[in-house]
Amino acid sequence: MMPIQRDKDGQPIDDLELAQKAWMLTWQKMLEAGERMVKSNGFLGKVKNEDIAIAETPADVVFEIDKVRLLRYKPLAKVRADIPPMIICYGLFGRQTMIDLQEDRSMVRNLLMEGIDLYVVDWGNPTRADQFLNFDDYVELYLGSCVEHVCKVNGNKPVNIFGICEGGTFATMLAAFRPELFAGLALAITPIDFHGDQENFWRGEGFLNSWIGNLSKDDVNLVIDTHGMLPGEMTGAIFSSLTPITSMTKYNIGLARMEGNEPMMLNFLRMEKWIADRPDHPGEAARQWLNDLYRENLLVKGEFELCGKKLDLAEIACPVLNIYAEQDHIIPVSCSKALAKFVPSKNYEEIGFPGGHVGVFVSRKAQGVVAGGLVDWLQKEQKNKKPKKQTRKKA
Amino acid sequence: MSNKGKGEGGMDQMFEIWEKGQDAFFKSQTEAMEIFNKSFEKMPDFSSQMKMNETFPSWESFIKTWVPDWDSNIFSGKSENLADQFTKSGNAFLALLEPANWTKYAPEQLRIILQSIADGPKFADLATPQHEAAETWRETLDYTQAASDMGKVMQDAWVRTYGRFNENYSIEDLKAPDSEAAMNAWLSAANHELLETQRSGEYMDAQRRMIRSSTEIKARQKDLAEAWSEMYQMPTRTEMDDLIKTVHELRRELRKVKRELASLKGH
Repeated sequence: MMPIQRDKDGQPIDDLELAQKAWMLTWQKMLEAGERMVKSNGFLGKVKNEDIAIAETPADVVFEIDKVRLLRYKPLAKVRADIPPMIICYGLFGRQTMIDLQEDRSMVRNLLMEGIDLYVVDWGNPTRADQFLNFDDYVELYLGSCVEHVCKVNGNKPVNIFGICEGGTFATMLAAFRPELFAGLALAITPIDFHGDQENFWRGEGFLNSWIGNLSKDDVNLVIDTHGMLPGEMTGAIFSSLTPITSMTKYNIGLARMEGNEPMMLNFLRMEKWIADRPDHPGEAARQWLNDLYRENLLVKGEFELCGKKLDLAEIACPVLNIYAEQDHIIPVSCSKALAKFVPSKNYEEIGFPGGHVGVFVSRKAQGVVAGGLVDWLQKEQKNKKPKKQTRKKA
Repeated sequence: MSNKGKGEGGMDQMFEIWEKGQDAFFKSQTEAMEIFNKSFEKMPDFSSQMKMNETFPSWESFIKTWVPDWDSNIFSGKSENLADQFTKSGNAFLALLEPANWTKYAPEQLRIILQSIADGPKFADLATPQHEAAETWRETLDYTQAASDMGKVMQDAWVRTYGRFNENYSIEDLKAPDSEAAMNAWLSAANHELLETQRSGEYMDAQRRMIRSSTEIKARQKDLAEAWSEMYQMPTRTEMDDLIKTVHELRRELRKVKRELASLKGH
């Protein structure tokens, strides 16, 4: 039953009066919102899709294998840092363009400005012809070949890798499978323990873990077998439903609130461009991701197999920096921090970023906390590796 | 075969349903003719031989089975407002055509019958399309039910949101200069309820059934597309997938051999 509406003096308001007031108020607010929306619409009317540029930092393709390309960014600093090259490895659920969304919010530019020799893996655009590619292909063959290439360019010396989200899981697996390739392993928003601390998830945290956990192996297989791939539209819809109100209001209330503010609108449109460009995930790799990792949690159990060998995360020999987002609604903090259990504490550091999953890369705050923290860690690790000067003992 | 168990002899039951449905439909046609006859008295009396006292209740009962809100008065001139009669009759006819309006009244019984047909023994040269049609119909019913269940879960969430907001806000509050605060409170209440709903077992089960049933329909579409491809001498999806898999495995073999060769050369 509807509660009785009362005025300021506590007197009940009759239904007709209530309805009249509600209509008047609605019209008034609609007009106000309309005015704001007109400003935003005015901007949308002027701007063209080609004006929304992302990932503009120049780079050359230096290595290719099947559809996978390895790009090397052109240096932006006059002096190259005395740090082993770094390879950025993004996942297959989105594009690596996230790390270079715009000039003033670009992880890539921040690292280049510090003189770091920077590479990025571009997985290309998987189609049904790639549906049988699995983790053996993506981790050992593709990523492994890219890393081997950079090691070779680096004088057959180990290199750094920076893995992001699913790409972080790939990087972690390769670091455990072939530890000799790596001087350092940096991760951001990376799932390791796919179940996490479910008892202590905050509201809105860990939906993916719960939802996928609620599916049976047959459910997952049915989806993959039917589509061949895990369609980008499907994963996009699932990601949108993780934040229902944000997804429902971004094109109405959200746009109206921007009131045509150009920098805000451009930021929004760049992000939209990135979201819209969501590739299909190769089917067999998706099957492993959902069944073996999300459902069965085989990686932390030491039962996940790569090229027929069970992966042991304790095999990771290089220093590790693990960056997680404290309000991450996609990868719970406990899922990322679980790596600490496998790496000796002297080799392990964490940075907790006070923001969400994507905010780690695109927020203004992240440019200092995440990019700055990553550069500091690289410099520190490099310093630790240098042989210390011998001090002569006094006679 | 009077003592059949639930789900047994599904084909028989299907035929029985169709038979009764057809019977009722023809009776309804007769009734419709009678009504038209009354409206246009000069027209020949086709239905003079029909037993109206028996057919009308039967027709009405049949229609009400599928559309409980059906108002037979709209055809018998008992309603006073003509425009209202047209609207009601139009809506009722459209409702008849909307599967969501009738599948929900007997889905389980129908589902069991359809499943028993689909699972039943198959003949080499008889009734194969019927088996497939039964399976397709069952899948459509499952999807309709899943969508309806999901809709209910979400509707309940919005009702709770409204209740939560209504407890704390009145029209007087909304008239305050800072209506933005009221908007934020509404969004916050909605966010709270939707997130709570999305972590509930009820939501997750509905979501699982939606994924499963919609994927089954997609798989059925694939089968139809394959049948069409075969009919026109075109390669099917399955054939393409087989080919892709073969190429994938060959490339893997080739890479393995190349590595072994490189390794041997290295030694």
